[in-house]
Amino acid sequence: MKKIKSIASVAMLAAGLGLSGQAANAADLSFMSFSYAEEAAKPSVEALLKGFEAQTKLTVEPLGYAWGDMQKNIFLRSRSKTLPSVAQLSERWLPSFANVAGLVDLNEVYGKDKLAAVFAPDALAMGQIGSKQYALPLISGSIGLIANKAVLEKAGVTKTPTTIEEFRNALVAVRDKVPNSVPYTMATKNNGSILLDFMIWTWTFGGEIIDEQGKVKIGNGEAGKQALGFMVGLMKDRLAAPEIDRPDARRLVAQGASAFFFDAPQARTHLRSFSGQGPAFDANVLPLATPVAIAGKEPASIQWGHLLVQFSADGKAKADTPASQFITYLTSDDAQSKFPLEQSALPVTKSARANPKVTGDAFLTAWAKAAGNPRRNEVGIWPNAAELTQIIGEEAQGALLGQKSVDDAIQAMHKRLETSMANVNKQN
Amino acid sequence: MSVAAEITSAPAPAQVSPHAVRGGLKAGQRRIGMLLLLPAAIAFGLVILYPFLQALALSLFEYTLETPAPRFYGLGNFAKIAATPDVWQAFVTTAIYVFFTTTGTLILGLGWALILNQPFRGRGLLRSMSLLPWVLPSTVSAFVWGWIFNSRYGVLNAFLLELGVIDMPQAWLSTSTGAMIAVIITKIWLSIPLFMAFFLAGLQNMDREQVDAARVDGANNWAILRDHVLPHLRPVLIVVVVLGVIGNLQQFDTIYALTGGGPVRATAVLSVEVYRRAFEQWDVGFASAIGVLWVATLLPPAFLYLRMLVKGA
Repeated sequence: MKKIKSIASVAMLAAGLGLSGQAANAADLSFMSFSYAEEAAKPSVEALLKGFEAQTKLTVEPLGYAWGDMQKNIFLRSRSKTLPSVAQLSERWLPSFANVAGLVDLNEVYGKDKLAAVFAPDALAMGQIGSKQYALPLISGSIGLIANKAVLEKAGVTKTPTTIEEFRNALVAVRDKVPNSVPYTMATKNNGSILLDFMIWTWTFGGEIIDEQGKVKIGNGEAGKQALGFMVGLMKDRLAAPEIDRPDARRLVAQGASAFFFDAPQARTHLRSFSGQGPAFDANVLPLATPVAIAGKEPASIQWGHLLVQFSADGKAKADTPASQFITYLTSDDAQSKFPLEQSALPVTKSARANPKVTGDAFLTAWAKAAGNPRRNEVGIWPNAAELTQIIGEEAQGALLGQKSVDDAIQAMHKRLETSMANVNKQN
Repeated sequence: MSVAAEITSAPAPAQVSPHAVRGGLKAGQRRIGMLLLLPAAIAFGLVILYPFLQALALSLFEYTLETPAPRFYGLGNFAKIAATPDVWQAFVTTAIYVFFTTTGTLILGLGWALILNQPFRGRGLLRSMSLLPWVLPSTVSAFVWGWIFNSRYGVLNAFLLELGVIDMPQAWLSTSTGAMIAVIITKIWLSIPLFMAFFLAGLQNMDREQVDAARVDGANNWAILRDHVLPHLRPVLIVVVVLGVIGNLQQFDTIYALTGGGPVRATAVLSVEVYRRAFEQWDVGFASAIGVLWVATLLPPAFLYLRMLVKGA
């Protein structure tokens, strides 16, 4: 009897496994997403999936991977020919994947004119490589400066800084009046994050890293040295600290231990979560224009967004395939009036941006005012972006940690970037 | 003795079964041996040999994100390595890491084994607790040590501040030396239990009377260690050093979890270099070529170890 029971149990288990395997295989499409792997964003993604399934009766298999693992997994899946139907990308990754076999040109699926009519031009441009539309935007925004209003008040800073001089004075006030604080949680640990801070300050001092033609500009003039010198000075005066990455910055700002950091508008969602106060913390989150070197200059900010790419075996798709229908749903007014706002980001379609919910969001309005004219990431657009990021991160970090002088770091950066760019053909 | 007598005095030939086939028993044994070996051989072929040969082949190809299919590149990747100082620096970093980690673990593992070989109350409990670092997943240990060394919340800073050794928190993981020391300490902490277990087993096989006799002759502790314990442990010592060097040459997870190979490139050992080239820069051909050279550094200790095993057998 006991034996029969065991056999029955095994059979049921096997049947269960078989059924679950069947269920997974039966999904009409798969969606690889880093938001789905983030605790704060997962419920919103699940709501999107449910909405799509209810509307179309198609099923989606969600594949959640951490943001840092996404590129690696797409790369490996492309080699093993197990790419998902749709994947979520950071806007700066797109050039790296432009040559992946199976990437669909969405102009051919939806029509170039139709896309131009629906999407905001700045958002649509993030998905373009040359004349191809390899991705459609999901959410958009910029990387800009965020301040903690409560910390500034504690430090007695009543006027938000608009110039570098004022910014420095504000940092000194925070250092002196808020014990155990890191006034500006500048990225000093991770190459990818260091790049963004360095790029913003380089632009602020009137420089460039790599121009539109792929020519390395950093190191040719004084701007790069001034920018890195400014960052090193902040470290020396304990206005910034080592071992800081974006997640550390978010936590310190949320805990009232830092006054300033650079991030995307999505930071509001993280700050709500890390402060433990939820939306009540919003009153402390202050989007600011990046201080300028000379009064009257345009404050620097970097274009930012999440994209959707579609894969198929032959790189072609029709508008009625499940994956195309899914992208259509994610960029519909219904989805765009909820998901981007839940992520504290701007919608990507013209109609959703005109939605009163969006125009009435004080944070997003303030963000658009402070960092509403972002420039394209001049490193991320190149196919060798990963190597460029590593070079810039390593050299800047070397100077920030006192391992080499600013001059040596900028010279080495210039030389290494030129070597890396020598054989690169610009793709866009 | 006559030839005839020799023949008659010779032992009678063994009785052979009428069903026996010439060489049948030996052949049968060989077949069974092969059959028993087969699962392990298949697993080895699939999990180790095939990927290794694949990597070996890929080292001769250009294979990046921009090349949809691998392009034959000959020895191009190796020429690139020769012209890339960062890779050579990774070899030096690896050598520093392996030397200090192996030496440190050897000394502390032996010391700990000598202590745990002494009779005292609670010895069994202490022996069991000593295995804790070995039981913990290495990435968990790396994160634990990461928090210990953390500049803002780390226990180390709190302890040193309390003692008055430092007057402000130090960012240990942000200096080249500090980060290297941190990864070495973490690996030593992880490896001590294994080394200690080897040494303890060796010590327990030692003849106590030999030590007692030396003491009667007036030998002090150092003399006993130098003239009796270490010579007795010599075979264990060699095996432990060789295994330690091989293990430390392959180390990746603790280093990557603790420092990511930084700051700048201070702790970028060969394993981290291969990972970065393959999965951050997507240059699989170049990463494979570094991997091939990395394997070459593993061959001498591996050969030594295998030779000892064969000789021992």
